[in-house]
Amino acid sequence: MRNLVQSMMLVGAVSAAGLLVHTGEAAAQEADKAGPETGPRQAEERRRNDLHTQPAVRHRKLLVAKRFEATPLFESTVNADFRHFVGVGLKLEYHLGDKLSVGALGVYAGAINTGLVDKIVPTLPDMAQVDSLEPSKGQFQAHLNKMPLHGAAYVSLTPWYGKLAAFDSAFVNFDFYFQAGVSFAQLQSDCPASICNDTAPGQPRPDPNNAGETLPPDFNPNNDPPLNSGGRVGAYLGAGIHVFLNDFLALDLTVRDYAFNDNPSGADYDANRFVNDDDSRFLNHLFMGVGLSVMLPMKAKRTR
Amino acid sequence: MRPNVRTTLVIASLACLCGSASLALAQKGGAKAAPAKGAEDEIELEDTATPDKPAGEGDGEIELEEDKPVEGNLELDQQGNDLGGPTMKAGPVTRTPISWKDILVVIRKPFLKVRRVELSPFFATTMNDNMVRHNTLGLQANYYLTDVLAVGVEGQLYTHQFREPFDLVGRQARRLPTVNEYNWSGALNFHYVPVYGKFAVLDKHLLTWEVFFTAGIGAAQSSVIPRDRTYPGFDNFLIQPNVGVSMRFFLSKFLTVTMGFRDYVFIDKFEPTDRSAAMNATADQAKSNADSAFINNVMFQLGVSIWLPMSFEYTTFR
Repeated sequence: MRNLVQSMMLVGAVSAAGLLVHTGEAAAQEADKAGPETGPRQAEERRRNDLHTQPAVRHRKLLVAKRFEATPLFESTVNADFRHFVGVGLKLEYHLGDKLSVGALGVYAGAINTGLVDKIVPTLPDMAQVDSLEPSKGQFQAHLNKMPLHGAAYVSLTPWYGKLAAFDSAFVNFDFYFQAGVSFAQLQSDCPASICNDTAPGQPRPDPNNAGETLPPDFNPNNDPPLNSGGRVGAYLGAGIHVFLNDFLALDLTVRDYAFNDNPSGADYDANRFVNDDDSRFLNHLFMGVGLSVMLPMKAKRTR
Repeated sequence: MRPNVRTTLVIASLACLCGSASLALAQKGGAKAAPAKGAEDEIELEDTATPDKPAGEGDGEIELEEDKPVEGNLELDQQGNDLGGPTMKAGPVTRTPISWKDILVVIRKPFLKVRRVELSPFFATTMNDNMVRHNTLGLQANYYLTDVLAVGVEGQLYTHQFREPFDLVGRQARRLPTVNEYNWSGALNFHYVPVYGKFAVLDKHLLTWEVFFTAGIGAAQSSVIPRDRTYPGFDNFLIQPNVGVSMRFFLSKFLTVTMGFRDYVFIDKFEPTDRSAAMNATADQAKSNADSAFINNVMFQLGVSIWLPMSFEYTTFR
């Protein structure tokens, strides 16, 4: 639930305004379908002219419809706990129409320790503690994972488009879009055998000194393998805005949430004092990105 | 003949092609333009003349190329029109689509803010603190000096909740995080609106919006949350500038929805690392040895605004 509230708020709150408008409009359309009316509603009908049934915007440039979009992008995590992931990637998208499109993106990212890690690590002991659950500097950092590769395949809806004026001089087209789909990520952690040397976390171990005998579990999660490497598949949500610089170039600003099972710290989460798969949980990984979209073909058509 | 007069004549002639133009003008009591038979309803033009001001003396928003000088007199043409005389040549109308590219259609803003007060209750939540999340309820009151510039005040009351890493750090790293909670804040703000626009929702309904920047200065109070509850915390008074960017969506003449981001920056004092019965035991001692840090508290804000007066009238010419 860490980033869920934030991401849902960003996506949901932006949608809220549109929903209000759309709801009002739907009510108006229902009123249109009603039978003979009297009173104020009838008077309202009389006031309507032919424009009521006309398109909201005429001679509009179809800046996305039937066009292929290629976007080199930069992306960074927002408010990550232990490591920021900052990377570059590419988004490829085909707009089936003016509102609907399908696409995929992939991002290669490097990892940077967050301020939290930088505060914790100097306070940890240099060497592993035998009779303490306090991790050493090496144990703590070796359990953190990275996300060298992540991406998504999605369907995108573009319900809003418009035009804005900046400083009364620059007039540009823009649109808002919302995306949903499947996310994937390649996670990586590099805990050396000298640190992660517990071969059976939480399990009795064979006693090397007495054949046939077992030792009780050590219940020390700091020497357990972090189990936070490998591929992950989950859900994807995104929302963004195209700001068109001309007919074929657009600034692409996006908030993306890649949600999948993860245990970023690689440590014991459920307090059973050893690390296993149960310590992973479904987490939101919130990113903000900026890209430059190239629309192909480069010439945009207009509506009538 | 001045260019503006010629411009008005050309526009008035084009308006004759549009039957709907006369209807719109008749409803508004403006000067009437005779509709041409067979004209389609696709294009509407508004007469630039006003009852108090002759056509052609407007603010010059619409300009056409002077590739074909138009000879004539506006007053004579209007008189001829009143007498039922021909205002157009007989025969087929020649369309000049190229000229449309030169016409800048500037509609009036659907919402005016100048000399109005915006009362905006809002909700905000922390965006960049993975230890403690602060949620606030606040109120803004802004007065718009012009349509793009406003001055206002805001106040917020804070509540907090610890996030997952606060607990994880304690259990996994065996460290107790040092965190402060915020109690209240207030600020004097200035807002500038450089961007406005409109968009269509699902190709049906037009909605206007704008983007504005905020900068302000204010004060706040934070409190240390002691790692060991046996020792007292202490309060900090903070000088707190802020900057932000927000979007405003216009729902009606008096109702808007605002959302945006605000960065409150300040230097906060935190509980010292070493605290025992012999060291920093009292609040004053702890405060005097507190660790200072520069803080960016980025918050997402969502609010609804009521505008007073609840309606407005245009005082400028179209």
